[in-house]
Amino acid sequence: MDLTNLSATQLLDQLKSGDLSAVDCNEFFLKRIQAHQSLNAFVDVGENGSGSLAKSAELARTRAAAIDAGEIKGPLAGLPVAIKDGICAAGVETTASSRMLERFVPSYDATCVAQLNQAAAINVGKTNMDEFAMGSSTENSYFGPSLNPFNTGHVPGGSSGGSATAVAAGLAPIALGSDTGGSIRQPASFCGITGLKPTYGRVSRFGLIAFASSLDQIGPMAWTAEDCALAMNYISGHDVNDSTSAKEDVPDFTQGISDSLAGLKIGVYPQFFADGIDPAVETAVRDAIKVYEELGAEIVEIDLPHTASAVATYYVIAPCEASSNLSRYDGVRYTHRAEADSLDQMYMNTRGEGFGAEVKRRIVLGTYALSSGYYDAYYLQASKVRRMIKHDFDQAFQKVDVILGPTTPTTAFKLGQHTADPMAMYLADIYTVSANLAGIPAISLPCGMSEGLPIGLHLQGRSFDEATLLKAAHQYQQATQWHKQRPSMDQEVSA
Amino acid sequence: MSNPVEPQQVQQVAKLARIAISEDSLAESAGQLNQILGYVQQLQAVELPADVKPFFGAIESVNAIRADENKPSTDREQILKNAPDSNGEFYQVPPVFK
Amino acid sequence: MISESQREAIKFEDVTVIIGLEVHVQLDTQSKLFCGCSTDHGADPNTQTCPVCTGQPGSLPVINQRALELSIRTGLALNCQIARYTKWDRKNYFYPDLPKGYQISQFDQPICGPGQLSVTDAKESFPPRLVNIERAHLEEDAGKSVHDDAGRAKSKIDLNRTGTPLLEIVTKPDMRSAEEAKAFLNELKLILTYVGVSDCDMQHGNLRCDGNINLHIDIDGETIATPIVEIKNLNSFRNAERALSYEAVRQFDAWQEDGKTIGDAPKRTFGWSDAKQETVPQREKEEAADYRYFPDPDLIAVTISEQQIEDIQSTIGELPPQIRERLKADYSLKQYDADVIVSQGRGVVDYFLAVADGCGSGKVASNWVSQEVLRHLGETETEIDQYPVGAEKLTELLKVVVSGDLDQTRAKDVLAEMVESGASVAEASDKLGIVKVDSSEIDSLCQQLIDENEKVVNQIKEGNDKAVGRLIGAARKINPNANPGAVKDRILAMIAGE
Repeated sequence: MDLTNLSATQLLDQLKSGDLSAVDCNEFFLKRIQAHQSLNAFVDVGENGSGSLAKSAELARTRAAAIDAGEIKGPLAGLPVAIKDGICAAGVETTASSRMLERFVPSYDATCVAQLNQAAAINVGKTNMDEFAMGSSTENSYFGPSLNPFNTGHVPGGSSGGSATAVAAGLAPIALGSDTGGSIRQPASFCGITGLKPTYGRVSRFGLIAFASSLDQIGPMAWTAEDCALAMNYISGHDVNDSTSAKEDVPDFTQGISDSLAGLKIGVYPQFFADGIDPAVETAVRDAIKVYEELGAEIVEIDLPHTASAVATYYVIAPCEASSNLSRYDGVRYTHRAEADSLDQMYMNTRGEGFGAEVKRRIVLGTYALSSGYYDAYYLQASKVRRMIKHDFDQAFQKVDVILGPTTPTTAFKLGQHTADPMAMYLADIYTVSANLAGIPAISLPCGMSEGLPIGLHLQGRSFDEATLLKAAHQYQQATQWHKQRPSMDQEVSA
Repeated sequence: MSNPVEPQQVQQVAKLARIAISEDSLAESAGQLNQILGYVQQLQAVELPADVKPFFGAIESVNAIRADENKPSTDREQILKNAPDSNGEFYQVPPVFK
Repeated sequence: MISESQREAIKFEDVTVIIGLEVHVQLDTQSKLFCGCSTDHGADPNTQTCPVCTGQPGSLPVINQRALELSIRTGLALNCQIARYTKWDRKNYFYPDLPKGYQISQFDQPICGPGQLSVTDAKESFPPRLVNIERAHLEEDAGKSVHDDAGRAKSKIDLNRTGTPLLEIVTKPDMRSAEEAKAFLNELKLILTYVGVSDCDMQHGNLRCDGNINLHIDIDGETIATPIVEIKNLNSFRNAERALSYEAVRQFDAWQEDGKTIGDAPKRTFGWSDAKQETVPQREKEEAADYRYFPDPDLIAVTISEQQIEDIQSTIGELPPQIRERLKADYSLKQYDADVIVSQGRGVVDYFLAVADGCGSGKVASNWVSQEVLRHLGETETEIDQYPVGAEKLTELLKVVVSGDLDQTRAKDVLAEMVESGASVAEASDKLGIVKVDSSEIDSLCQQLIDENEKVVNQIKEGNDKAVGRLIGAARKINPNANPGAVKDRILAMIAGE
């Protein structure tokens, strides 16, 4: 029995019909996780074989048995889900892939984890990521990079690279990621899967280890848009524990997903295809446009003049917020501590050795930009430009329902390719950061292959209109086969 | 503010952020910081309407409040379990004044 | 630079003391500002914390509604403008009892804007002073650090207090003496307790005060200022007064010595040493504080409606300044007496009003309440609602006093009995054998005294009216129920041949 070719929706049908027991399903994925540990998709703190991954597996086994025994019931009963390690799960090490949090075991579930538990899904493990979600390759993980299952010499993207790897390698049918500047969509694009960054406020951030609070959003990653819609039905909604969570009504995202696209207005911004884009990516995206035309959509040219400043805006705002959000990692309550004979030295040493290079770089950058005399020029100015970027999208969505473009300018780059050049790495987010700055939902879905690596199509939508994005993505997946491309795992096994 | 950040300034900022940076790596850190600051410099050139309001959060709604009600606190043993140094009652840190 | 000889020519009496205060008030909520943990005092260390107030990864704050309401209430009581839109900012600094590495506070849009509070001194040691309130903002408290004074042992951290709601009230530098500052603090505390926003218990740190002070010195038509000193953690009003007084003189002496003015030295932080009775410089960081304030992206703004403000306003009731005016105007009380009653709190005011209205004399009611009742409360350390003699009973007693049917001394005996046994006026009077003495009995008593005390009568005839006192004493021995006032009046009249 090979479950790797089933979507989460198909798997759930089998679980519901009784053709597949929760225990068998769970064991299948746990075995695959074990078998493909070299992909480093999951974080395993502690002794190999008795560390946090084994602990998660043990909890998953207990849960699967309880589900089969009818003791735990719910609409997602038995569905394995991998959780990004920046999302807290009670009783399981939650490290955000940082040495700083190596010892941290939360006493609480993130709201989205609690919601999935309530629906009787099974958490099969915590996935690797760039430390504190800062990065675009998972190379910033304290636990080493995850590998792209399509070519293990390449990165899976980041920061939710472990989640993308897990889904693409068939280690879990569905995973949760978080997206601050493209951290769900870029790895989804690199790994040939579908990933949705919901509207800011749609999914509670409670229990998500903050990188940049005004940009962070949790979302689903899976093979298909339909699977993302399924997960969205359970993780969305207002949370009294998150002041920034929206009080908007939550539709059934799987309803209406098959509706026709006739009359849908899709905006394309010509600058998406400007310098720096890989010609193969451009071709694949332009082909996708044709598919949409055939599906009855109308293509409209739009203008997003301020998105040219999006990466610069992002690299002021995100580090500023991060510098403050990460102040709590001080060696006092739950973090790694470097002993020293004075408090200040303890702080300096703890944070000096507990954080990796990229995290320290961004903390220093953010601290500098917020410090006395610089606030107006950096944070305030960036926040004003952010207003203009949002305004651009508001204007565009007067004319169109969806904005289409590439998710990333290139396919997955090689391991180590950008590690010496932070700026080059930052530009991997060029198409994705705007959605975080504006707060709008966006999805990446596979739309081609180039030299054995997947290409991602990026759709952005109106605030709280994930339904239209999911419908557009699902209809595309009904008409194409890109989302069915699976990596050949032989390469990895031989590696 | 268009002046490049000197290594010495990096040291000051790192101290403000309580991050130890070795003397050897200061120059490299300053170089990277200047590269990023050089890039974000383009924001100064963005033409903005005079009355543009900064946008600080993707959500601009108001009034998420809770009633003044007690909820159970976390068990002390559990909350101190994560602490690198505690005596069962208090968190412990190296002397503040030294 | 002002020369040494010029400086020496200036006397302390010539300088103007400039004082502004920052007062932190713990708002009377059950739960903390951003989580459901209890705000009670006295719990074992680290038993009143949760992921939110210990800043655990992924935790998020949600604002306490009552903390907002109490802040608005305070603002209205201090005549502040109430913001219709208020937001939250992070104040970033590292300290082990500050779990998130930042304090959630309000930087540029505080919940309460400018207001004012008028301070008068009942003893008139300074003229009435209008103190402007600059702002009042809501913020979370930090935890407690227990340090080893020798700096050798580890510091211990208790986070129970972390996240408790504080309102920081900041005044303009409008006070001109330590006495004024103390009077301001007294009046502020009185108002805060009247409107029920805080118990202002300083022992538990529910009201904390920092003072900013310097001197303005006029020389040759030019005003120079001494460097500003902030005195931290003034833990009682008495210490606040002492510290500010001391610091004013210290600054004057320092200026006489070195001539340094505000531009020559940065603002310094001092503390008050109870042991030395001196202000002492505190250890300061070598680096200047840089709090890197920015809007907290985990919280959204709060809007306050006119209706909400009206609703809160309607429950505030009369405040001490207005009550004092009413006691003076409607009950003929002097400023001092009105102050004594009002400073005891709303309960005593209500008690006084009931008694004064009932017995028909504000003056008599004021005397009895401020002397007898308050003395008893002070001695027994109880509150007015525990006082055994209710307003109705005291009213009954004072009616008899006002009518002259019972003299003060006997009435006090009656009251003592009422306090002791909970008896009514009639029961207590009975028990003490008090019966009403009619005028013919007084007449014969007085005639008897005149007949028996020729010497005293002669003294009175010679103009020494005070001598009558001895006769009154004798009268009480014969008949303790005889009203001394009536006896005195009658004897003098009879001697005068009326």
